[in-house]
Amino acid sequence: MMNLNPDTLKLPQRELAGQADKPILRLEAIRKVYGKHVVLDDLNLTLRSGEVVAIIGPSGSGKSTLLRCINMLGPATSGRVVVGDLAIDESIPPTAQQLTSLRRSVGMVFQSFNLFPHMSVLRNVSLPQERVLGRSRKDADKRSRELLARVGLAEKADQYPARCSGGQQQRIAIARALALDPQIMLFDEPTSALDPELGLEVLLVMQELARSGMTMLVVTHEMNFAETVSDRVIIMADGKIIEEGPSKEVMRDPQTDRAKRFLKAVKDR
Amino acid sequence: MTADMFLGVATGIPWTLAVTAAAFVLGAALGLPLCAMRLSNVALLRVIALVYIILFRSVPPLLWVFVFFFGLGSGYLPISAFEGVVLGLGLITAANMAEIYRGALSAIHAGQWEASEALALPSYSTYLDIIAPQLLRVSLPSSASYAVGLLKDSAIASTIGVTDISFNANYIAKSTYQGLPVFAIAALFYIMISLPVAALARAADQKLRARVAL
Amino acid sequence: MNDLLSFWLDSLPALLDGLTVSLEVTGVALAIGFPLGLLLALGVQSKARSLNLISLCVVEIGRGAPALVVLQFAYFGLPQAGLTLSSFAAAVFALAWNTGAYTSEIIRAGLESVPIGEIEASSAMGMMRVDTLRFVIIPQGLRVAAPALLGFATQMLQASSLCFAIALPELTSNAYVIGTNTFRYMEILSLAGILYAAICVPATIAVGVLEQRLGKHTR
Repeated sequence: MMNLNPDTLKLPQRELAGQADKPILRLEAIRKVYGKHVVLDDLNLTLRSGEVVAIIGPSGSGKSTLLRCINMLGPATSGRVVVGDLAIDESIPPTAQQLTSLRRSVGMVFQSFNLFPHMSVLRNVSLPQERVLGRSRKDADKRSRELLARVGLAEKADQYPARCSGGQQQRIAIARALALDPQIMLFDEPTSALDPELGLEVLLVMQELARSGMTMLVVTHEMNFAETVSDRVIIMADGKIIEEGPSKEVMRDPQTDRAKRFLKAVKDR
Repeated sequence: MTADMFLGVATGIPWTLAVTAAAFVLGAALGLPLCAMRLSNVALLRVIALVYIILFRSVPPLLWVFVFFFGLGSGYLPISAFEGVVLGLGLITAANMAEIYRGALSAIHAGQWEASEALALPSYSTYLDIIAPQLLRVSLPSSASYAVGLLKDSAIASTIGVTDISFNANYIAKSTYQGLPVFAIAALFYIMISLPVAALARAADQKLRARVAL
Repeated sequence: MNDLLSFWLDSLPALLDGLTVSLEVTGVALAIGFPLGLLLALGVQSKARSLNLISLCVVEIGRGAPALVVLQFAYFGLPQAGLTLSSFAAAVFALAWNTGAYTSEIIRAGLESVPIGEIEASSAMGMMRVDTLRFVIIPQGLRVAAPALLGFATQMLQASSLCFAIALPELTSNAYVIGTNTFRYMEILSLAGILYAAICVPATIAVGVLEQRLGKHTR
């Protein structure tokens, strides 16, 4: 088992000064429609570099759909996504080059891990580096081992994913996404498929990542993570942002009735 | 390509259909007791069924047809070409249908047996009213695709002189030296026959699905 | 009984020669047919319309027409188009087409069994479609398809008996010829059957073992 005591992870304090105001991700009027059903309703959102934003809200509110619009796994009907210097119009098919550079800048961690079961843990983390970044096998493996050590799984490198617990698999998936040196990490309910105990080890890795200054957008049901780790919380319902602001304010003193109802329901559970 | 050619090949259609249908009916019927034997509590019956199934599936259909037509026919039992091919293909079909029934049975939820037992249904009623309709329903898609495969295997009949599509194509091709269009027409006929069979099976599948929800 | 054994012993060399030809024609047909099946599976899934259409035609004709008719088409029909094939080449042509058409369905099912999440993860990491196919989808898909492909190989050995119709001296043809000469059809055909079974029965058992073993290791 890894050494994941929260105290040992409070290493570097986050350095937000200087670049804090620089927007790294901008979503402009993102709209997604299935037939007559509006899944995302003209959504706007800006992330500054190094910011950690949690998105919470009832299921079906469009949280995961929003993440999948950002890296165009499921493009929106209309709207624009701006990542650094790259601006993408969601309504037209992107060029292969745009798509590649978008996905290199934006890493994603899935609810179901999605590791490749037929490859060793090390190959899982190295292969994308080789194929996407063109790194040599040696360089990729070196970077992979560093990252596996960072998520506390150095000793699992040569095993197969099926031999790892769910929590370990998710930490490997995080290492795999980090290996491409993304500017932003998207997390799509990363702990929902895990027992609370295993979820915790994933949350601790995410916490460490947040402290190191990674820009993160996290769809989650973990209210504790939203309140204590993220800088900002967004509450979504029916494809809209109904409340957003500094984490503690939003979580403790929501303004809208809908947000109050949602938070009360979650807390009473 | 001439109309003569087309019609000439077409005269084989009834024989192709007859061989296919007869072999399928024989196999579908024999498959039931064979499946029962395969699942029997009596070890001897199980072994006999298993050996039968493996043997009939491991030797080429053409060879089986030869065994029945030339083998049996050479002094053991006078047998026509049609009978020979139906017997050969039918017995192979029985082996395959038994396996299809067995697969279908395992797809029927164990709860169905338990519920029947809990309701104190007599066993004939359990089989007839509960299991059989579901068995037919579940095995329909595989049976239909087997029947389509059998249609193509029936072309073997031509090698022992049954005047089916394939036989006529062969005959016309050799007498006119027009093999290219003639065999293409023959292939077309087989495809044209298998299309409605597949469509019919799909339609029946949907109708039964509505009636026997699973 | 003694008579039967000596008849079998006398005929065995000819049948073994035939079996060699059967195995050769099956082997070559599979060596061409399996890769063809993979290409056709990818072609049928392809979004490029023309590629998709061509693949579908090749698959549907290969599956819809009896192997015997395709065999005769290749041997008796193609010469009319100026392409005269030896009986061995015609057999390979027909059986490889048949193999490609059928295994494309088996392989497609295998490829489709790869969880969508893994494909999404690959594209979320910016991997190109070709790389995703090569490293993620095909290795896993083929592994899933392996037992069914082996099973199909035994069926192809059986299908090679159809080459009797184009006078390829394979096992069934040789048995038939001996039968015609000696009129001891039952005996010689039984021996041929035993030879087919000697290969197909162990192979069938191997398929079962392979299926079980794969079921154990994946997830």
